[in-house]
Amino acid sequence: MADWKIAMIIMIGYLVVALFIGVLAGRNQDKGSLDEFAVAGGKLGLFVMWFLMGGAVFSAFSFLGAPGWAYSKGAPALYIITYTAFAILPWYIIGPKIGKIGRAYNIYTVSGFLKKRYNSRALPILIGLIALFASIQYLATQMKGMAYIFNIMTEGRIPFWLGALVSYGIVVVYVATGGLRAAAWSDVFQGLLMIIISWVVGLAIVNQLHSSVSGMFTDLIAAKPGFLEIGSEGSFMSSTAYTSTILVSVIGFLMWPHLFSKSYASNARTIKKTVLVYPVFALFLVPLLLVGFAAANVVDSTAIGSPDEILPYLITAVLSLPGWIYGLVGAGALAAAMSSADAITHSASLEFTDGVIKNVKTDISNKTTLLLMRVGVFIIGGLAYFITVFGGQGLIALLLGAYGSIVQFAPGVYGALYSKRITGPAVISGLLIGTVVNYYFQLVASSTPFDLHAGILGLLCNIVIVVVVSAFTQSKDVQVVADEYRSISG
Amino acid sequence: MTKKTFTKVYCLSLAIPLLLLVFPLFTLGNRSTPLVLGLPFSMFWVLFWIVITFLIVLVLYRLDPDKDEEEVS
Repeated sequence: MADWKIAMIIMIGYLVVALFIGVLAGRNQDKGSLDEFAVAGGKLGLFVMWFLMGGAVFSAFSFLGAPGWAYSKGAPALYIITYTAFAILPWYIIGPKIGKIGRAYNIYTVSGFLKKRYNSRALPILIGLIALFASIQYLATQMKGMAYIFNIMTEGRIPFWLGALVSYGIVVVYVATGGLRAAAWSDVFQGLLMIIISWVVGLAIVNQLHSSVSGMFTDLIAAKPGFLEIGSEGSFMSSTAYTSTILVSVIGFLMWPHLFSKSYASNARTIKKTVLVYPVFALFLVPLLLVGFAAANVVDSTAIGSPDEILPYLITAVLSLPGWIYGLVGAGALAAAMSSADAITHSASLEFTDGVIKNVKTDISNKTTLLLMRVGVFIIGGLAYFITVFGGQGLIALLLGAYGSIVQFAPGVYGALYSKRITGPAVISGLLIGTVVNYYFQLVASSTPFDLHAGILGLLCNIVIVVVVSAFTQSKDVQVVADEYRSISG
Repeated sequence: MTKKTFTKVYCLSLAIPLLLLVFPLFTLGNRSTPLVLGLPFSMFWVLFWIVITFLIVLVLYRLDPDKDEEEVS
């Protein structure tokens, strides 16, 4: 049998199992419960929670983007493992607080959290819209990854539009029916699969291309001095760009609605234990970086379209690997992309319904809300699909672009947890200015001051505005809630 | 240890490894040689501090006065 046929059978087999697990997990749960759909009744256990958080960060970006960075930029790729290890750590402190506040006021989104504290309807609408756009961008990168992997592993026989449609269609179906619980259980399966595959395939590639790991690095250092350093002669990233990219990723990570709202889905102890075992996920990324480094000296950059294609290119064109390896890598990459896509589709629908729709039209019953959220899953899925198939940009630029805007939620969130002086108008103006500054430096300006990350520049402006405007807009209305937020969270 | 002190200890002890992995302190580890365990020094430095961070969090969890908190709902 031809390699592509074996690969296709394995990938389709994987998709069937993923669909099966997703749909099965949501079965026998209360279909009419908003609480169950949104936060799985607040009762997810440690094992599932760990994979849910891990699956969300282990995305198409890790599977295709991380080897791509290591291959094309060298040491700057280390930013990926650094931020993965550190970004979860604040959750140990703020996660239980957010969870308690959520249970006290029946909140299950970022917009709901900020709306209550800042007593504003404009703020949740704004948050809902930014979350929607950022999520669609993020989804588009995942879908591109899935479609791409399908296409290359079947040697072009499954066209781009079909690969994206089939794999993402499955995600939409199990999320719309089973809600968070379905997403969580499929992440367990997908997480295990991609961890195993990345180690097996990663080490196999290094061994085929080089004598040993140290031999590979010795050659690489001799051929490209500075490639494995930051900011030196021959390096691809300046020290300020490296540092600010890590900081923006660390601060922004927990502001993503799909991670933030997991605080409501579990109790304090589970949250703390999830943080405890989480840095291990960063180490799982190591073989994927090694793949990129292994190719740096071997593959000519003109041979591939973009650095993101390095892992599939190695497998199909450079190494003569058997068809079942094609299939495994395909399944692993699909798993990585789908486990991020399910959580993001779910939370984008929640944020948009809770933040935008419920504040534009205020008299919606719980039953209608639930229906809107289910329908939202399909609409958001459709939008993301449309953008993926008809729009274009590199995987990483998209992800970092969305990140830059999400990090602008941070002053409002930390203000709600730790300050009673921060006011609604201040958070709104800070958020607007921060987002505009980020977009200006990311999309319009050709360079940024001191080579800093655009998101950090936006965040600095955001914080200044929040502090200044707060000083001028103190009012007694929100004092009670502000005090309650701080005292509940202890 | 009170909750408040714990939060401070938590933040400070984890800020240290993070600061060692971003500039200016990352200068200490930012070099390709010598190879350690087959890895370039920069990569080894990052992985080493991530493992240390993991150990720090384990110790912190044991110290947490609030770890077995049962919520009254």
